[in-house]
Amino acid sequence: MLANFIWWTAIALEVVILLRSGLTGLLKKYPLFFSYIGCVLLTEIIRLLTNALAPKLYEPLYWPVELVTILASYAVMVEIFRWSTRHKPGIRRLTQRALLTVFALTVAYAASNFVHGKFSSPSRAVAALGRDLRYVEAGILLLMLWLLLRYRIPLGRNLRGLLIGYSFWVGVNVVNLALWFVPGNEFSILLRRLLPATYLFTLGIWCVTLWSVYPEPVQPAETKIERDYELLAAKTQAVLARASTRLARIMRP
Amino acid sequence: MTGLLAIIILGSLILIFGLRLALQSPRTQSPSITLEEFANARDALDTTFVEAAAIERIFSTEDMEFISHSSSPQARRLFLEERKALAIRWLRKTQKQVAQLMDLHFRLAGHTHEPNPRFELKLGTKYLSFLLVSYLLLFLLWLRGPFKARRVVAYTSHVAGYFCTVFSLRLESINAVHLGPDDSDPDPGV
Repeated sequence: MLANFIWWTAIALEVVILLRSGLTGLLKKYPLFFSYIGCVLLTEIIRLLTNALAPKLYEPLYWPVELVTILASYAVMVEIFRWSTRHKPGIRRLTQRALLTVFALTVAYAASNFVHGKFSSPSRAVAALGRDLRYVEAGILLLMLWLLLRYRIPLGRNLRGLLIGYSFWVGVNVVNLALWFVPGNEFSILLRRLLPATYLFTLGIWCVTLWSVYPEPVQPAETKIERDYELLAAKTQAVLARASTRLARIMRP
Repeated sequence: MTGLLAIIILGSLILIFGLRLALQSPRTQSPSITLEEFANARDALDTTFVEAAAIERIFSTEDMEFISHSSSPQARRLFLEERKALAIRWLRKTQKQVAQLMDLHFRLAGHTHEPNPRFELKLGTKYLSFLLVSYLLLFLLWLRGPFKARRVVAYTSHVAGYFCTVFSLRLESINAVHLGPDDSDPDPGV
């Protein structure tokens, strides 16, 4: 009963987020994020229908669908990265390199685990791949969060809400996945029961922070900076001219 | 088990950073660096270099030897207490100054056209080691006084000097066009 309630509430919240984004115009601004929400909505409807109409198919279908959702969630990171560094060419290059390196390293690690791993069934292999991909995602997200906090990159309220909700969801998911693969762990069972509720909480954060369009942080006006820079350059030029005149006087016989 | 612990730490760190982001007010997020800040950083840098000779004197054993030969035990104790307090104050000030330089460095890096990842990593590692050693020195100063920790003092001064040099080079590579406007009249010496 409770599981069904959470399921339907999640679907309702996702529909609300998508509808609201269409009305406010945020759908055009963050297309990758809302594509992710759309993808999650679709997979949930598939799961719901499978559970109701063909329950035997639910289990074999669970992990492949989960894998698709995890892959789709990478789009959210691309979106966050794209928006948070749009005014910072230097940081953009730095984070791009760092993220690509981490991504390449961890995907190589996950792939090697997948190739060399001894899995009892294909569904187990897909589950392990999904878990490894989530770890990769978590590693990249952690690096991104650290860079954003460390370099104090200003984020608009919408983007901040998106990132906070996403961090909460990935963080809880990673801890849950890590414990899932430890047999007989009681905390894992508790966390697994709590996971749907945490997803609802994440959707709640997104719903509140993406309800309206908030302005992006203002960059200093170019003309004002240029005026300051010109002033600075003019003063340097004056100092140089004065020094040259003095030097010329000294050098004069 | 180690792998599991690492993953749990990873997940927990994401949650902590996410919470920190949620608690951070948009005002403190502002990365704008004014021309005044830019000038102040340069002044602080110059002061650090000028103070080097005076700092060496705090930890020099010459004064201690002089006091030991010619004064009463009470005067010697008073001298030791004074030097200890001075040394701790100097260390706290250095820690604060390096932290400020690092903070400004990170903010300036956002305005630099080509931040070098290798350089950033090296700087980060150096900063971590500096923090570790300076806290160790603080503990040593508190425990044994300023004249028993000369080697650690030398290392701390050396690393602080390294940060100043690095920061000086960083300032050279800043694109002034991208700095925030100053509220007051910019100093001609900038």
